[in-house]
Amino acid sequence: MIGALKEFADRLLGRGDATITVPSFDGALKPNQILEKAETAGQFEAPEDIATDGKTIYIADGVTIRRLDASGATEVRRFDRPITALCCMGDGGMAVALDGREIRVFSTPSAENAKTTFTDPSFHAVNALAPGKAGTLIATDGSSTRPAGQWVYDLMERGRSGRVFSLDLASGKVRTIAAGLNHAFGACASGDAILVSESWRHRVIANAADGSQRAVLDNLPVYPSRLSPAGGGGFWLTAFIARTQLVEFVLRENAYRRRMMAEIDPEYWIAPKLRSGQSFLEPMQGAHLKTMGVVKPWAPPRSYGLVIRLSETGVPQYAVHSRVDGVNHGITAAVEMDGALYALAKGPGRLLRAPLAMIEKELRA
Amino acid sequence: MSEDIILTLRNATKLYAGVPAIENVDFSLRRGEIHALVGENGAGKSTLTKVMAGVVTLTSGSMQVDGVDAAPRTPLEARHLGIAMVFQENSLVPTMTVAQNLFLGQEKFYNRLRGIYIAAQQFLQSLNFDVTPTAPVNLLGAAKKQMVEIARAVLHQAKVIIFDEPTATLTPEEKKYFFDLVRDLKRRGVSIVFISHALEEALLLADRITILRDGKHVVTDDAKSFDRARIVQAMVGRDLSNTLYGTRKTTVRPPGARVLTVQNLKMAPMVRNNSLSVFAGQITGVFGLVGAGRTETFKIVAGVMKRDFFHGGEVILHDKPVRYRVPAPAVRAGIAYVTEDRKVEGFFETMSVARNIYLGLLAKMPGGRFFLSSNEADKVGQGWVDRLKVRTTGNDMKVVELSGGNQQKVVIAKSLVQDPDLIIFDEPTRGVDVGAIVEIHELIQRLADEGKAVVVISSYLPEIMALSDRILVSRQGKVVEEFSALEATEEKIMYAAVH
Repeated sequence: MIGALKEFADRLLGRGDATITVPSFDGALKPNQILEKAETAGQFEAPEDIATDGKTIYIADGVTIRRLDASGATEVRRFDRPITALCCMGDGGMAVALDGREIRVFSTPSAENAKTTFTDPSFHAVNALAPGKAGTLIATDGSSTRPAGQWVYDLMERGRSGRVFSLDLASGKVRTIAAGLNHAFGACASGDAILVSESWRHRVIANAADGSQRAVLDNLPVYPSRLSPAGGGGFWLTAFIARTQLVEFVLRENAYRRRMMAEIDPEYWIAPKLRSGQSFLEPMQGAHLKTMGVVKPWAPPRSYGLVIRLSETGVPQYAVHSRVDGVNHGITAAVEMDGALYALAKGPGRLLRAPLAMIEKELRA
Repeated sequence: MSEDIILTLRNATKLYAGVPAIENVDFSLRRGEIHALVGENGAGKSTLTKVMAGVVTLTSGSMQVDGVDAAPRTPLEARHLGIAMVFQENSLVPTMTVAQNLFLGQEKFYNRLRGIYIAAQQFLQSLNFDVTPTAPVNLLGAAKKQMVEIARAVLHQAKVIIFDEPTATLTPEEKKYFFDLVRDLKRRGVSIVFISHALEEALLLADRITILRDGKHVVTDDAKSFDRARIVQAMVGRDLSNTLYGTRKTTVRPPGARVLTVQNLKMAPMVRNNSLSVFAGQITGVFGLVGAGRTETFKIVAGVMKRDFFHGGEVILHDKPVRYRVPAPAVRAGIAYVTEDRKVEGFFETMSVARNIYLGLLAKMPGGRFFLSSNEADKVGQGWVDRLKVRTTGNDMKVVELSGGNQQKVVIAKSLVQDPDLIIFDEPTRGVDVGAIVEIHELIQRLADEGKAVVVISSYLPEIMALSDRILVSRQGKVVEEFSALEATEEKIMYAAVH
């Protein structure tokens, strides 16, 4: 009863859970256009994830794994189902998640047969893989109700069934490290702990070996996604969309949201997207987005591109952006190799390359 | 020429606690001229004009008005001599109407309110001022308040009107209007003295310019013979920029953990959907014109003011939403707010230095203390007096007896004794002498080096640029632009603050 009264009062006054606010992009997250200035290293049909072994960049493109080389992107291998996650192992091997339900580990990227295959029935939407400690593999599963491709449904249903698994490569055992997460999407080992992106709660958490959990980075203005180690310590954290007050409002209004999901084409939901500006039927049009026909870079974003450089302790150092008026949106993965940042812009299907020296120069300018 | 001179100061010296604010300054004002007083902060401009306006009296030297020796001891005496001053922080009574303020001090035995309003209306119209005489002053904007101040000076038939930073609170359009007004006053034969930090204004408006430096007269000459470079050289003289406001920053502190997040904060009409973050180990400078909502935003953070009741936004401290209705819980949570108005909000002026500092410590304790220890108060007070080099004659010295700079140090000590994580300095060097400015700046830098999250709100651009690692520019109630100290220029910041 008291809870119901409090909820009513909060809704009336716009307080507590009913506070519809989003943090601003400032400090280390100060906007720039570096991702827009990045060179396009490749264009793909259905890119999902990228990985590096330190010498080569591998791209999961639909059902295909491609290798980026001087001649472009060469096919390495092909599967019968779409790839939802990819990672290179420390021993030269490669792990691949297929359709979010199966994980195969190969001794080399081109090895004919899988060394180990995990088909745990609890896998449903495996969306990121990362090498763990002592012969383990870490996997994040976004939702137990929606497949990986239907992440927007999971967001609109306020899904909180994300999990993190530890897969023992030797024994083939699967251990659940964390469950009940609001869309786990991306992980990376950090000392004894595992950093995990919890997208719908806009935070990065650290799961310690003893099972305890703490927020490393909270209240982000974006929905964080995959993590990867950065050269010289620290991490790269990608964010595939930015938060807006409008979407936060819709997420609070249950009846409205249910009706929208039942009656409106998902393409035109008031929901974030990996790519926007394709149709005049999209919500969030007009003067709040455009002035004299030009998209305002500071307008509320329906889609956005962002990669954040984190220190070893998880403190943001700087960020590279593709703002609302840009096209390199929906960044779902980023890795560092040979002094350059490679970022996958899923919106336009591009692999971007930005030398770290260029980033540093741009940030100083 | 001598008959042209309406006001003269010779060898004017004013000491505060033995420290000269002005020293052997000669100054003359011609009838019907616009005379600009220019100088760095702490150069003695305000003191010189306060002497003319009877706010302070000279320690030595003489003043003549219309060739007759004069030494006004109060503003009323100065007004009788025909000298009026329009202060930067206006001196109007906020709860009274415009008309009542205009006739304040001229009341008769029987005052007919209607008569006052009609007279005020006619008078304001004669000056072409668009101000409603029945409006309470607290509902007026900065420019209109200034108009009322000016109207009051003209009403009192002032022969000399002194303006202290008249354009600091005005928009560009209002400034233009103000300039026209000043020229009109000049045509009426009124002599104008105005203090300005904006050199272009002095060059544009003034007939003559006097430059003060460190309390001493440097040069007086026709405005035509000056250009910006000559003024700056005369103002700075020695390379003060290296000691006071530092050379341009080449490095900034990297951001630490986010300590404070303000999200879509609203407090109508001053704060409008304001969002910002403050990070540990950095100095976040907040610049904006008066009325940009900077002070109000941080007063809400510190529990001094309340945000809007409905949908007022969020304040997040160390990743936890907080809502302080009074300052005490904010102090206990580690927020210290060093007020811009130290005399009203900063200290109890008749209490001793030590007691004032000790009060800061008491505020941190939940429920305060039942028994208070004089010894502890003296010990705590003395410790901070030594650390901040507050120049006192003893712990029992009352704060009111200290100079502005030392009073400010007491206010800062009162906050630092609480060992805060987030320290908000609002105009930390306003009305502070040059030496104390350097010490306060060093202290602020030291706090950031120690890993504290520091916010500096200032209307003075060189101060913001010298101190800040990142600069937030506020306009019309919200932060509109962020600059790194490495990329910021005065022009960029001012453009963001105005446009």
